[in-house]
Amino acid sequence: MKINWFSPLPPAGTGVAEYAAHLLPALCDRAEVVVWTDQERCDVLDARAEVRRYQPDQIAWADLNRADLSVYHVGNNQEHHGGPWLVSRRQPGLVVLHDVSLPHFFVNLYRQRLKDRAGYCAHMERVYGANGRALAAEFWDHRVPPEYVAERCPLTELAVEGALGVFVHTPAAYEELKPRRRWPLACHPLAYRATPRPAPPPRDGMPYQLIVFGHISANRRLEYVLEALAHAERRDRFHLHVYGSLWDPRHIEQLAKAPALRGRVTLHGYVADAELDAALASAHLAINLRFPTLGEGSISQLRIWDHALPTLVSRVGWYATLPASAVAHVRPGHEVEDVRRHLDDFLRDPAAFARMGECGRRYLQEHHAPGAYVEALLGLCEEARQYRPRALSYYLAERAGAEMSAWCTDSAKALRPVAGQIARLVA
Amino acid sequence: MRILITTVQVAFVRGGAEVLAEGLRDALAAAGHEAEVVAVPFKWYPPERILDLMLACRLLDVTASCGAAVDRVIGLKFPAYFVRHPNKVHWVLHQHRPAYDLWDHECGDLIRFPNGTQVRDAIRDADQRLLPEAKAIYTIAGNVSRRLKEYSGLDSTPLYHPPRHADKLFCAGYDDAFFFPSRLGPLKRQGLVLEALAKTSRPVRVRFAGAGDAGSGQAELEARARELGVEGRVEWLGRVDDERMRREYARCLGVIFPPLDEDYGYVTLEAMLSSKAVVTCADSGGPLEFVVDGRTGLVAEPTAEGLAAALDRLWGDRGLARSLGEAGRAHYEALGISWDTVVQRLAA
Amino acid sequence: MRVLIATVKVPFVWGGAEVHAAGLRDALSAAGHEAEVVAVPFKWYPPERILDLMLACRLLDVTASCGAAVDRVIGLKFPAYFVRHPNKVHWVLHQHRPAYDLWDSPLNEMRDSPGGARVRNAIREADRRLLPEARAIYTNAANVSKRLKKYNGLDSTPLYHPPQHADKFYRAPAEDFFFFPSRLEGLKRQALVLRALAHTRQPVRVRFAGAGLRPDSLRELEAEAGRLGVRRRVEWLGQVSEEDKRREYARCLGVIFPPLDEDYGYVTLEAMLSSKAVVTCADSGGPLEFVVDGRTGLVAEPTAEGLAAALDRLWGDRGLARSLGEAGRAHYEALGISWQRVVERLAA
Repeated sequence: MKINWFSPLPPAGTGVAEYAAHLLPALCDRAEVVVWTDQERCDVLDARAEVRRYQPDQIAWADLNRADLSVYHVGNNQEHHGGPWLVSRRQPGLVVLHDVSLPHFFVNLYRQRLKDRAGYCAHMERVYGANGRALAAEFWDHRVPPEYVAERCPLTELAVEGALGVFVHTPAAYEELKPRRRWPLACHPLAYRATPRPAPPPRDGMPYQLIVFGHISANRRLEYVLEALAHAERRDRFHLHVYGSLWDPRHIEQLAKAPALRGRVTLHGYVADAELDAALASAHLAINLRFPTLGEGSISQLRIWDHALPTLVSRVGWYATLPASAVAHVRPGHEVEDVRRHLDDFLRDPAAFARMGECGRRYLQEHHAPGAYVEALLGLCEEARQYRPRALSYYLAERAGAEMSAWCTDSAKALRPVAGQIARLVA
Repeated sequence: MRILITTVQVAFVRGGAEVLAEGLRDALAAAGHEAEVVAVPFKWYPPERILDLMLACRLLDVTASCGAAVDRVIGLKFPAYFVRHPNKVHWVLHQHRPAYDLWDHECGDLIRFPNGTQVRDAIRDADQRLLPEAKAIYTIAGNVSRRLKEYSGLDSTPLYHPPRHADKLFCAGYDDAFFFPSRLGPLKRQGLVLEALAKTSRPVRVRFAGAGDAGSGQAELEARARELGVEGRVEWLGRVDDERMRREYARCLGVIFPPLDEDYGYVTLEAMLSSKAVVTCADSGGPLEFVVDGRTGLVAEPTAEGLAAALDRLWGDRGLARSLGEAGRAHYEALGISWDTVVQRLAA
Repeated sequence: MRVLIATVKVPFVWGGAEVHAAGLRDALSAAGHEAEVVAVPFKWYPPERILDLMLACRLLDVTASCGAAVDRVIGLKFPAYFVRHPNKVHWVLHQHRPAYDLWDSPLNEMRDSPGGARVRNAIREADRRLLPEARAIYTNAANVSKRLKKYNGLDSTPLYHPPQHADKFYRAPAEDFFFFPSRLEGLKRQALVLRALAHTRQPVRVRFAGAGLRPDSLRELEAEAGRLGVRRRVEWLGQVSEEDKRREYARCLGVIFPPLDEDYGYVTLEAMLSSKAVVTCADSGGPLEFVVDGRTGLVAEPTAEGLAAALDRLWGDRGLARSLGEAGRAHYEALGISWQRVVERLAA
C-alpha cells in the first residue's frame, strides 16, 4: 500500500512529531510512504520515505491520487495540524485523532491562519446550532475559558466528518466516537519505539531528582507540585528540574523563589532532545500531571517509561486507565496532598518506585510497540479504502436532500425512495 | 420491438459516439423496430458531478412510455447505461476511461481533482456491480471487452459494426502520401507521426484530416512540424466532409492510425474498405484486432523510429502497400461485419 | 452564444413540443447562435416518478460542456426547466397540467393514485420556488401565463411563435368537409365533435388527422362514431405528412379546434395561415387568444349542441366561412408573429 502521510515532524515541538519519528520506520517496513510536510525544516525520519513539501492551497492532487490513501494527523494545535486538516477537507482520507476535543485547534486555525471569524462561527453553528454560534463569538473574543468550550463544543465533528476512517489511541476516545461513526473506527495505543537498553542506567543517590517536562501549561498543575514539595517534610532530599516552556514563567519563577524551595528547583527552559534524555536518564521520579485533560494519550508518558522512570500521573482520562504497577495516581484537585504522600512513600521505599519504572518500561514494550501499531493502522487503511466509494452516499444524500427541500416539506421522508437508489449506486 | 438507446450527450460536441447511436437507431428502424435515442447531458468535472449524473440516470424511468412498455433498452455509454430496465442489453462503447486506463495519463483529468481517487473508486465499483444487471453485455470491440475484464472482472462479447457509408468507400490507386484522418489530439498521436517523419530516410509525405477539440490543436502541431523541419512534407486538411474523406482514403498510399489504446477505431475499417494498408502501433488497441503485421498492414513500435521504419518500408515498396491494402479489403469482407448482425444480437 | 434548450421527451411520441424545441433551435442557429436541445425522458406515472425526475433534472449540470461555458439555458417544459444554470430564461410551453388545471379532470390519473396529492403539492411548490430562479419567464401563450399567475402567483410574458413551415400554408377552394388535425386524445375532444355531428341538421362532414396518444384511441373513437350513427360522415386520416396536412387545410371548409384549455395551439394559426375559419369552444384556452367570435371564426359553447350549431352555420353559409377565413389570415399578418422576435427576447 502506498500512503500519503500528513503529520508534524521533528523538530516540531509536539509529541505527535515524536510519535511520527517512532512510527515511520515501522510503517516503511510495511508500506510505501510519501511524507508531506508544510514545515520549513524537518528531519528525515526514514530514508525509504519520500518527503514532499506542500502548501494546503496549492497542492498537486494528481501526486496525492497516485497513492492508495492519505493519512492525516489532527490534534489540538493549529500550527502543527492546520496543514493536514486543510488538505483532509479537500481529499478525504484516514484521520488519526490525537485529541478528541479540538477547541483551540479550530479557533486558532481560523483566527491565525485563515483569519476568518465568520467561517469559524458558521462551523460552530452548523455543528451546534444557535448556541454554538453564540459560544463561538464569545470564545473568539476570549470571553469564555477554553475548558468550557472544550466540554460543550469540542468540534471533533469537524475533524472527522469527511473522513474515510478514524484512528484513535485510547478506549475513551473510541467509546466517544463510536456512537456517531459513519466511517471505520479503530483504536490502538500510541506507538513508541523503546530504546534498546540492556539494563537500567545507574542513577545517583540523593538528592533524588524529580522531573517535569514538556509544554507546561496551567493544566500541568506545576503550582501544586511546587506547593507539595515546599511542604514535604524531607524536601531537602529532592531536587525538582523543570524542562520546557512555561505558560507563565514569571509566576513560576516567583513561586520557586519561596524560602522553602530555595536551591531545590531548577527551571531549565526549553532544551535539546539529547539534554532532556540525559536528564530523564539521571532522574528518579517523573511528575506528569494533567487536569483537566483533553483526553488523548501522551507521548511524554511513553518517553518517561522508556527511561524506566516511575511517574506520578493524574487519575483522569487515559492516565486513569494505566495500571497502578506502572504509575502512581494523583487525584485531581488533591495534587498537594497526594504528591506529598507519594514523595514520602518514595523516601520510605525507593526500590519499590524503581520497580514501578521497570514495570512501566515493560508496559511500554508490550502495549506500544510500533509493529503492532502499524498492523492496526494498515488494517484500518484497508477498511478505509473499501469504505471510500460508499462514503459518497452521504454526499449524494445531502445533495438530493438539499434539492428536494425546494419542494418537500419533509425531505427526510421524501429521501427514502431515493436513498434506495443511492445505496444501490454506491453500496 | 420498442427500443430505447441510452447514451450521453456532450453539448456542442459531435463525435463517433453520436454517429454510433444514430447508426444503431437507423439499423434498428430498418429492421422494423421502433427505436429512439435517449441522451443525458454529461459533464464530468468537478468529479462529484459524475456522481450526480449517475444518480440522475438511476432515477429515470424508461420502463414504459405513455402507457406502452419499452421492450428493450440498449446501454451505450457511462453512466447512461445505468438506467434501470428489466430488459436491458449493453453495447458498451467505453467506460469512463479517466477512471480506468487513462487514470494516470495526460488525457485523464480525474486524477487531478482532490477527490479523484474517491470518485474513481465509485465509478469502478458501480460498473462492476451494475453493468451485470443487464441480460447481456456486448462491447463495440475486443479492446473494450479486454478492459472490462481487466478492470471490472466482467465477461462480454465484442460485436463489430460497419463504419458509416461502408458501401461508399472505394480505391482509386496509390499516390504519393499517407493519409491520417482523426480528431487532432494527444490520444491520436499526430505528434508522434511528425516525429517519425523527422526520422524517415525517404521523403515520406502525410495528409492529416481532422480538427482539434474546441478548434485547438492544429496550430500546435504545425509549430511542431516546423520545429522538426518536416512542414514541407505534411498537409493539414482540417475538417473535411464525407465525400472528401472518401476521396482521400481512395487515393492515398496507405493509412496511418497509431492512436493510444483506441476502443475500436473506424479509421482501420475505412482504410480496409478503401483497400489501403494500415500502419498502426503495438499499443494502439482496437486497430490491432484487424491489422495483422505484414498481412493487412504494419504494426510498429510506438516510437518515432519504429513508425519511421514502417513508413519508409511502404514508401519504398509500393507493391507491398498495394498488396497489404488489397488483403485488408479481403479481410474486412471475410469478417462479415454488418448492422444486421449487430441488430440481431442486441434485439434478441 | 452557446444556448441549450431544456425540455422533456416522451419516448416514441412526437408532437408539438418536439417541433417547438426544434423550431427554437433552428431559429437560434439562424440568428448565429450555437444551439442544442437537451431532452430528458418523461414518464409521469406512478406520480412518484415525477418527483424522481424533478430531482434528476436538478442533478444535471449544464453550466458548461467540455470545458467551455454554456451561456444560456432556455427552459421549455416541466421538469426539465428546473436544470440549474446561472443564465436561465424560461419559455414555458406548459406546466404539468394534471397538477393544475387538469387536477379535477375525469382523465387525471394523478388525482386517483394514492400519492397523487402529495406529488401535486410538490410540483406546485417546486414551480413556485424554482421557476423564479431564471432571469426571465416567458410563456408560449397568454393562456399559459394566466395559469402561472393563477396557480403560482408568477408573472410572465407571452411570446408567440409561428407554426412550423408557416410560409408554406396556402388556400384552395373550399370543399365539403371540416378539418380537425390533432393527436387523438381526450383533451383535444374529438369525441365531442362526434357528438356534435349527431346533433347537426346539415350533413356536416369532418376529416380527422392525427394518431392516437394510446394504441386504442382510434378504435374507441371509431366505435363511438358507430354508436352515434355518424360513421359515414367522418374520415380518419391517421398520421399525415406535413404536405398532406397543408393540403387538407387548404381544401377544407373550415377548421374545427375545440380542445380543453389548450396552451397555445398551432392548429389555430395554421388555419389562419390557410385562410380558414376556426370553430373553437369557449373553454378552449389558447385558440381564444386569436379567434374572435364572428370575426375570424366561431366560438361555441363546449357542448354537442353548441358546437353543432356553429358547424351548421358555416356549412350553410359558405360566404361567411370564407370571409371569416380571410379575416383570420389578415389578423395573423397583423400580429407580427416571428421567430426572429422570439430569439431576440430569449437570447437577450
